[in-house]
Amino acid sequence: MIRFLEISNHILFWYYTASNTAYLVMLIVALKTSAVHKRKLQSHRLNWVKETPMAPPITIIAPAHNEESSIRVAVRNLLDLDYPELEIIIVNDGSEDRTFEEMRDEFRLRVVRAVYVPQAKSADVRGLYRSDLDSRLLVVDKKPGGSKADAVNAGLNAATSPYVCIVDADSILERDGLLRIMLPVLDDPKRVIAVGGIIRVLNGSEIKAGRLQRVRLPRKGIEVIQVIEYLRAFLIGREAWSQGNMLTIISGAFGVFRTDLVRAVGGYRQSAIGEDFDLVARLHRHLRQQGVAYRIPFVPDPVCWTEAPSDLKSLGRQRARWHKGLLDVLWHSRDMLFKRRYGRIGWLALPYLWLFELIAPVIELSGIVTIILAACMGALSREFFLQFLIFGYAFATIISIGSVLQEEITYKRYNDWQDVVRLVSYCFLEHFPYRQMHMVWRLQGLVQYLRGDNTWKPLKRKGLESAGVR
Amino acid sequence: MPSIFERLYRVGPASLLFKAIIVAIVLDALLLAFILLRRTYRKRYFKKRDARVYELRQRWHALISGEIPFETWRRKPFDRRIVEEIALDAFEASGPDESARLLKFLRDSGLIEKRIFEARNHRGWRRLRALVALGRTRAPEGIHALAEGLRDSDLETRLASLRGLARTASPKAAEEILAWLGEEGLTVPDLPLQSALVQCCAERPQLLVPFVRNAQGPLREVLGRVLGEVATPSLGPDLLQFAGDELDELRASVARAMSHSNCELALNVLTELAQDRIWFVRLRAIVSLGKQSDGRAIPVLVHGLTDSNRLVRLRGAEALVGLNTEMASIFEQVVALQDRYGLHAYLTALENAGLRGRLESELRANARLSQSQKDHLFDVLQAGGLRVSEPATMETASKSATGLL
Repeated sequence: MIRFLEISNHILFWYYTASNTAYLVMLIVALKTSAVHKRKLQSHRLNWVKETPMAPPITIIAPAHNEESSIRVAVRNLLDLDYPELEIIIVNDGSEDRTFEEMRDEFRLRVVRAVYVPQAKSADVRGLYRSDLDSRLLVVDKKPGGSKADAVNAGLNAATSPYVCIVDADSILERDGLLRIMLPVLDDPKRVIAVGGIIRVLNGSEIKAGRLQRVRLPRKGIEVIQVIEYLRAFLIGREAWSQGNMLTIISGAFGVFRTDLVRAVGGYRQSAIGEDFDLVARLHRHLRQQGVAYRIPFVPDPVCWTEAPSDLKSLGRQRARWHKGLLDVLWHSRDMLFKRRYGRIGWLALPYLWLFELIAPVIELSGIVTIILAACMGALSREFFLQFLIFGYAFATIISIGSVLQEEITYKRYNDWQDVVRLVSYCFLEHFPYRQMHMVWRLQGLVQYLRGDNTWKPLKRKGLESAGVR
Repeated sequence: MPSIFERLYRVGPASLLFKAIIVAIVLDALLLAFILLRRTYRKRYFKKRDARVYELRQRWHALISGEIPFETWRRKPFDRRIVEEIALDAFEASGPDESARLLKFLRDSGLIEKRIFEARNHRGWRRLRALVALGRTRAPEGIHALAEGLRDSDLETRLASLRGLARTASPKAAEEILAWLGEEGLTVPDLPLQSALVQCCAERPQLLVPFVRNAQGPLREVLGRVLGEVATPSLGPDLLQFAGDELDELRASVARAMSHSNCELALNVLTELAQDRIWFVRLRAIVSLGKQSDGRAIPVLVHGLTDSNRLVRLRGAEALVGLNTEMASIFEQVVALQDRYGLHAYLTALENAGLRGRLESELRANARLSQSQKDHLFDVLQAGGLRVSEPATMETASKSATGLL
């Protein structure tokens, strides 16, 4: 038994070191990439992009389900986006409140016979409506499909542009966000088939009439920790993975895709729990099977602001769901593992996700259990345990501070000194007990998936205007 | 020899841990210190810069008129960068008179000359910055330096040069770009190149014709697309040579370019191209026919409603609606097609244009149609489709990807 505990402690140590070293490598890659990207932006003057006659048209697809309080502002924001060729499709996904009526009254919608080609599976459409005030706006009113994937598919079926941008109706897109996210497409339209943008936490910022006035850090600790998590995930993780063309996730709240390819893979999988991750995985599969040269870059400066859960219950639900989604997609993509035709996706990106994301909570839990067992059996060196804790703490903090540094030297959205001090402070505070709670939520997600519990429970949200209340 | 696993096992966590803790803590401290120092430095820098910007803006008119000698600020890099930035920002936002004044200032003060020097003699990011600034000035004397940047080994620098040349929007810049393409072929992505050529060739599109004729492969496609974008009526005869070209893109470009030409010949060529085997060539031809606003194009456009491609049908319908004439007669022809996809496309276009009411009143007022014909047409219009008893002509429309609502 003691031998077993010794071996498992060794495994735990090396697993932990490998996982953090991987993140450290990503941090270094991301720092370098961001510096290059920032310089590159100097040669890309956005107004020149806006004036180019070659900017490809984009259809924005925003699914909306029971969004009566914010839909007017959200649609107006989308119509105000800075992009020369724009079509906006709002999919009213069987809302039970006044979402549709709000849009109908505000934008003077009338029934039209717009083209709807049901290539991607979706629930029945009740009608298509175009705005009399702004012909770029099309509303697809459909029966409830029970998933975001279903709603996006309906939008996809009505889209007429070569590119679609999927956004959440309850998020705020920065005005030049589309121009920025399209830069990689404009540079290399043949190979760039999708682009991911960055999602940031809206909580705490000042919002007026649906527009972000001033970026501030949220007041609640749980929200600040999420800010750090988002920075780490986007500015380090995605930035680094995209360098090796191994980006496997484009957030469902903000991403651009080539329409023909999304249709070719059948749109979003309706039963997928993490539909955004699933789509990108299927795009990789499709293109690698075809042997096509392609790129899926991540652009760190076009920002979409979204409301993060502000209470533990909602956050726990969200994280459990994310982990369920991860398992669902990885399970469906298991045949891509270690296959030559899938290249680095099959050899590096997916194995990484299996090893350091999916089973991480299981390893963490087993680590805790073996440490307790070892302590009970007197096999645990107190000195070693303490040292390991300090090391783990200091190492994980490097990654968190690194993500704040990355934010500081590149995009610097948090200008207030007070905010930065708080952000850095939470880099030290997030390890106990948040990390442990996070582990439990992720384990819950795994258990729910294995039990077949895939129901979606809506998260408690304050709405755009009140999300910003500090 | 022990295996790697054994060796790792022997190294063990204990021997590494203490050193690792030290390294991790030092790194944490360094990162924190860097963030704090950088913030402090930047705060001071921006404070100083903002104060200087304010000062210089207060004396802006004296600065650009030369009342304040250029040497007083030009020798200080800090001031020079600020003045240049203000001038270029103003230049991009100003009208013709103001921009002429600012360009004179940029010339007289030696800023353009300096940027030309930097673009020619520096490498890497400094060259890139100089090229971008030069492009922003749109100064003709910068074209040669920008063109030299096209031959740089770095893609970003080449793109910066290309964008800079695009800003000048001059035929001279187009000549430089085309000459470079002739030498080196396609070494930049299509879209920025197309964009630059569209802007620079707009004044003299005929520059493109010999290059299109002689280019090969993907470059020919790109040039063809640009030609389609910038062609003018005067280019009509030159374009005819490409109407039967084997390259689909080029035929599509000819179809697009012909929309500017309203001669008899253009109508014939477009009628021919509207029957092309490639859908996007037909699409371009249909769109161009619509732009011609010529009643003689109606039969071809009506026939376009039976195309197997959804987009061709839609654009055909939009073109017919856009003619804004003979609506009752056109609708009668559309119904007579007995093609429900074509009819759907037409009704969609009609409703999108908000012209349904007008069609109804024209139908009512039409003296040529009998009452029963009118009733039938109204039936179709109200039902939004053909009656079940009237079989749709399925052969003409694509059966696969056209499930219409």
